[in-house]
Formats: sequence, C-alpha cells, structure tokens
Amino acid sequence: MVEIDGEGRTTREINSAVQEAVSHGADDIRVRNTGGRHNLGVAILRPVRLTLDGSVGYYCAGLSDGPSVEVSGSAGWGLAESMMNGMITVRGHAGNGAGAAMRGGIIVVHGDAAARAGVSMKGGTILIGGNCGYMAGFMAQKGVLVVCGDTGEAFADSMYEAACFVGGKIGELGNDAVIEKPSPDDLELLESLLSKHFGRKLKNLKARLRAFQKVVAGRKLWNFDKREWKTWKEAL
Amino acid sequence: MCGIVGYLNRGKKTKQPLGLTLYKMLGALGCRGPDSAGVALFTHGHRGALIVRVKLAEGNGHDGLAESVVQGVAAVGRVKTFSTQQGYLRLVLDYRGDVRPVERLIESMHKDVEVVSMGRSLEIIKQVGTPENLDSAYGISGLEGTHGVGHTRLSTESRVDLSHSQPFWAHGHPDVAVVHNGHITNYHKMRRRYEQKGVRFYTENDSEIIGVYLAQRLSEGLELKEALKASLVDLDGSFSYLAATARQVGFAKDPFAFKPLLFAETDTAVVVATEEMAIRSGLTGRYVVREAQAREVRVWSR
Repeated sequence: MVEIDGEGRTTREINSAVQEAVSHGADDIRVRNTGGRHNLGVAILRPVRLTLDGSVGYYCAGLSDGPSVEVSGSAGWGLAESMMNGMITVRGHAGNGAGAAMRGGIIVVHGDAAARAGVSMKGGTILIGGNCGYMAGFMAQKGVLVVCGDTGEAFADSMYEAACFVGGKIGELGNDAVIEKPSPDDLELLESLLSKHFGRKLKNLKARLRAFQKVVAGRKLWNFDKREWKTWKEAL
Repeated sequence: MCGIVGYLNRGKKTKQPLGLTLYKMLGALGCRGPDSAGVALFTHGHRGALIVRVKLAEGNGHDGLAESVVQGVAAVGRVKTFSTQQGYLRLVLDYRGDVRPVERLIESMHKDVEVVSMGRSLEIIKQVGTPENLDSAYGISGLEGTHGVGHTRLSTESRVDLSHSQPFWAHGHPDVAVVHNGHITNYHKMRRRYEQKGVRFYTENDSEIIGVYLAQRLSEGLELKEALKASLVDLDGSFSYLAATARQVGFAKDPFAFKPLLFAETDTAVVVATEEMAIRSGLTGRYVVREAQAREVRVWSR
C-alpha cells in the first residue's frame, strides 16, 4: 500500500506521485487530504486500486483505463469523463456530467448525481443510488444508466441505443424518450448490479426491482423526415 | 468562468473572522478569475447608523474629493466617522430615512463618484486584481461579521475596473449584495426597460442587472426567496448567483444548470461556493457537499 498525503501538495505533485506508484507496480494506493482538488487520479491506465480519502473536484478519474477508484466523499463536475474501463465508486454525491462521453467500465454513485449524468455516453454503466438532475442521459449512444431514485426534467433526451432504468419517479421525459417494460434479461442485469454494489444497503430487492421502468429512444429523431417536422421543431 | 462564495454563521462563536473565511474561500477560486476580487461583508454595524462606501476614483487621484463629499453629506445627517483607503471613502452617517436621496446627493458631487454599498451592516470592498491583492490593500482577512459573499472575476464582455467588479450592491436598496457567475442573455432588453423607468446603470456588466432586479422585487414586498424564484423566470442565460441581505443568504441556479454551485450546511455555518475546494477552505470538519440542481433556490436565515 502506497500512501500519499495531499496536504500542502499541488494537484500536479499528487498526480505525479500516483503515476509514479502505478509505474512502479503498486496495486493499492491511497491519497489522503484530497481537499476537493480537480483532476485527481486522471489517466490511470492499469488495473490498480486507488482510494481518494475525502472529496474531489472536477474530472476525477477521467480518461481511466482499468483502475478501481474509490472516492470517500463527493465528486465535482465531469466524474470519470471519457473513461475506457475500470470502476469508479463515489460514496457521496456527484456533480454535473458524471460519466460524460464514457466508453466502458462502471461508475457507482451512492448519493445523488447533478445535471447531465451520462451525457453522450458511448458504453459502460452508470449506477446512481439516489436521484439524478436535469437532462441525464442526454444523447447517450450506448451503455446503461441506472437511477435508483427520481430523475430530473428532460430525462433521456435525444438518445441513441443506450438504455436507462429508473427506480423512482421520472421528473419529465426528454424528447424522443419512451418508457417500456424491462425484459427478463434487463431485470437480471439490474438485480446483479444492485446486489453487487448496494447489496448490504438494500432491503426488499425483489420488490424494488418490480418498480423499475426502462427508458429507451423512440427512434423518431434518428433520421430526419420532413413529415415529422413537428417532432423536430420541439426537439431543436 | 468566475468564482463565487458565500458564508453564513449560524450564531455560534467562530475562531476566525468572517473576512478571513471569505478570503480563504476566494483564494481557492483565484484561478477561476484573476481580473478582480471582492467581498460583501455583513458586519455588526454602528448601532443602526448608515455605512456608506463610496468610490471616489479608480486609483488614488481624488485630492479633496473626500472632504467635499463628507461636507456635502452632512446636510442630511451627522457624519459619525469617515476614512479613506485607496480609491474609497467610507463614512458612517446618522441617517434613518430612504437611502436613495443620500445616494443621489453623493453621486451629484462628481461624475466619477459612485456609491459602492450602503446599509446598516453591509460593506462591499472590491478592486481589480487577485484576492491576495484585495487583502493586502484592505486587510479583509481581519474584518469581522456574521455573513457575506465574495467573487473572483474572469471578465468576458465588459471592462475590468473597480466599478465592473463584483459584488454588486442592489442600488437604492440598503443591505443587499449580489455575486454572479454566468451570463444574463436578456440583459440589454431588461436594461432598456429599467432605463425607461429612470434606473441608473453604473456599468456595462450584465451581472449588474441582477442587483437591479432584486432591488425592484424586494421593494415590491417580495421575500428574498420569492424574489430569487421569480428571477428564474425573468432572467435568461446561464447563472448561479448568490444574494445576501442583512439577515439572509440565498442562491438561484438557472433552469439548465449551466454553472456550478455547491453548498454544505453544518450546525455552525452554511457555506456555498462554485467549487468544493473553496467550501473545504472555508469550513473544516466532516460534512456533506451537494451540487445545486437546475432551477434550485435556497435561502438561509440567521
């Protein structure tokens, strides 16, 4: 275990220390006193374990490919942006744009996520234990977004082939978003995600699963058609 | 980008002065805007007397102007004390009535003179430069108070000078200050309407309109919270802004959540800032920080 104290260090110094530990083959790294700094733990391209003890600022664990990162506090904007692979867990809340443009791996937020979670995601999974804010899933192309609580407005707006699951109330559906019944495969996926990541906190898993709604694209906005101008006018 | 901060003490004694808390918080946001820095502090006041902070000039070149303002203002009330610091004149005036005639009187003395803040407890201190510059010029870290807001500016559309810096006082309405991060896109339209009603604008900074707007709403008898909610409909663009009055601090976030704003509450304080780094710099201990949602409005009272 490599321990790095963030107190009195700049972000660059902390990240250099983390990268150095990774390059020396460390598999368990802990950073104390993160102090809400931005860009912590970015661009880690190996399956190491990184614990960030405290809250983090913007773009934490962005561009990750393989690490397992745990944030004990909250995270700011752009959590794990453009990540390729790995697992990012946030015990607190996440700011805007969690998992924006991610391609693979999983992000688990135990608390709430603010606006635009999973915006333009191209793969991977985002699992939000609480509620999510405005325009989550906007233009998501692929992947899975699970919100156990309620969603904000314009949920799943203008999506492509991503699938969203909501355990609570949908604040308002976005353009071209439609609700459908989860398939047995979907329920199996949800069950395994929830029990794996929130297992001990969850009661009545089966009953909770029954409450989940699935939201996908209605495919009305995939190809432009003059006859559907009304739909387009609304969306634009 | 710009950085905004707010802090409200919940009545318990704290170890560090309010000014130091705001200064530390602004320090953490300095990189979001090095153009100017400012704070609006709500102090313990001078037994209900009116505290007036006047900008005499952009720099130090204001020979004799301070004396003539002090003499002139003596016509409406007894000047208890006055002092000058850089381009500012600060005076404490025994005056109870409507503040607008006092403001007009002071500003009629010279074209460069501007009342930066007025109130029974509000004091706005701002200037071009970093938070460090602000502290070395005015010693803000030593100032005591109960709550306040602060701002670091990255200018995008209007001039960089003291007048265009934030916080903005809601001219004409004592003890109201605003700090804003974002752009108000219907600024010109709203400004024209206000100007037709005779409202004076001091800058070309779109953020100034928020103070004008809130002053109008509060004068209509709205509570701060109602005024903030109404602003979500009337203001267009991207904004997270904080407004502070003699006993409250509140925020409003635009319907698209374009601009960051986070907050944390404990038994001793409420802290709000653009980034969590600033919150952690202002308040130690264990607490949860949340990001405000789109269209969210919150107000805390002392």
